[in-house]
Amino acid sequence: MDWGRLRFFLGEVVSNFTRNAVMQLTAIGTVTVTVLLLGTFMYAHQTLTQLGSGVLSKIEISAYLKDDVDDVKARSLSQKLAADARVASADYIPRAQGLKEMVDRLQGQIDMSLLTTNPLPNAFRVRVKNPDDVNAVASTIEKYPEVAQVDYAADVVRKLLRATDVFGRVGIAMIGLLLITAAIIIANTIRLTVFARRREISIMQLVGATNMYIRGPFICEGLLAGFIGSLVAVAILAVARFELAPRLFESLAFIAIGAVKIDEPLLAGELLLTGAAVGFVAAWLSVGRYLRT
Amino acid sequence: MISLRGVSLVYRNGVRALDDVDLDIEKGAFVFLVGHSGTGKSSLLRLLYREAVPSAGAVVVDGIRVERLRRSKIPQLRRNVGVVFQDFKLLSDKTVWENVAFALHVTGTPTRDVMRQVPRALDLVGLSHKSRMFPAELSGGEQQRTAIARALVNNPKILLCDEPTGNLDPSNTTEIMELLLRINLKGTTVVVATHNQAVVDRMRRRVIRLEDGKIIADEERGYYFRGLGQTSLLSG
Repeated sequence: MDWGRLRFFLGEVVSNFTRNAVMQLTAIGTVTVTVLLLGTFMYAHQTLTQLGSGVLSKIEISAYLKDDVDDVKARSLSQKLAADARVASADYIPRAQGLKEMVDRLQGQIDMSLLTTNPLPNAFRVRVKNPDDVNAVASTIEKYPEVAQVDYAADVVRKLLRATDVFGRVGIAMIGLLLITAAIIIANTIRLTVFARRREISIMQLVGATNMYIRGPFICEGLLAGFIGSLVAVAILAVARFELAPRLFESLAFIAIGAVKIDEPLLAGELLLTGAAVGFVAAWLSVGRYLRT
Repeated sequence: MISLRGVSLVYRNGVRALDDVDLDIEKGAFVFLVGHSGTGKSSLLRLLYREAVPSAGAVVVDGIRVERLRRSKIPQLRRNVGVVFQDFKLLSDKTVWENVAFALHVTGTPTRDVMRQVPRALDLVGLSHKSRMFPAELSGGEQQRTAIARALVNNPKILLCDEPTGNLDPSNTTEIMELLLRINLKGTTVVVATHNQAVVDRMRRRVIRLEDGKIIADEERGYYFRGLGQTSLLSG
């Protein structure tokens, strides 16, 4: 396409775009709000998912041994555990070490001088390679005759992950509805432009312009509305992420939020693409229906 | 160039616009379609550029079965068939030049060709000096000449005119008819639907008369009214 043809085409797009300024702003605003919600939601969802699986992968299974299990038996059990393909590590924690760790962990919270004897049994601390195996490994360990009790926090985390999953599904459904709303508003805006330009369109058809050519400027109009709307949303989200979020994280210091890695540029790209795609599809359907009749 | 066989056209509201029409128009001809309003002149033209599809029969334009044409091929047909209307159908926010160039732009013509073809078309209709004016600044005749330039700028083989002088005074009418004749002499097949008796009688070309959707007369070098030549001789 040479410069003159491109200029003619862009002229058509610009005149379409500015013809119904108020409607156009409404369309852009709708996309902005929708993409804003979508972006916030995706960020929150990714954060929760990562936090959940991060915790899950660090879950330890504590296997407490019966009091009559001596060191020799404990070491043979240690070898059995290490031989299990699902197990990442199995550390033997003699009761003295266990007490020491507990005292360190609870320093200042409980008066340790009240403890006259060591209440802890000997134990194994087992980590699995894949978080999904936690349940299976725990029940395997439970069956060893040397083991008195198995303890792990996986259920809590599992519930957290399931909640995240439900949150995800509901969110996607709601945002899907919002996207459809945005598409309908864009489609209506474009239908107004089409109506305002029906004379030009009929002349275009008369002199032999292809439907593809007639569609072009309208498709670009929709694309532009979607893109600008999502661009505004992404800008707002960027400000929120880099100006406001650090303050929020400070107040939530007890959560390991620093460990969460989200690919922000990728997310921004996805949002822009979503906005543009909504505009494109809306325009395509809107003009297509007009040209068929 | 144009051939109709057993063509009928019934609109959705039940109106029978054309009824079993057979017609042949050879290449390079200049033909008048005459008849009262609502006798099917416009409908016949609409079939030729595929604005309407016949309910029965075959429409052949330049070797193409128009009624069988796939939707995607219609633009190709229309680049070969220029159409001019009574109400000009110009874009009021575009200049004469832009109106003519529009037909080329929207068919994806390279700028170089636009720059070459628009002046040629404007020169043909004698509007080169008014190319920067807007339609509202032109006389009716000049507006129609602009529309003709737009219809011709793609070098179509056929020019269809639906009441081209319907909105014009006699001197502008003469001007337009002379222009159409010049275009015809350059080899373009011209079909003019009109009920302007003076034009038809002066030009003495083939006259096809429609009534109630049927061809009731088809005369070479005819008059607006069938056999008018003899009558007027008698009365004169």
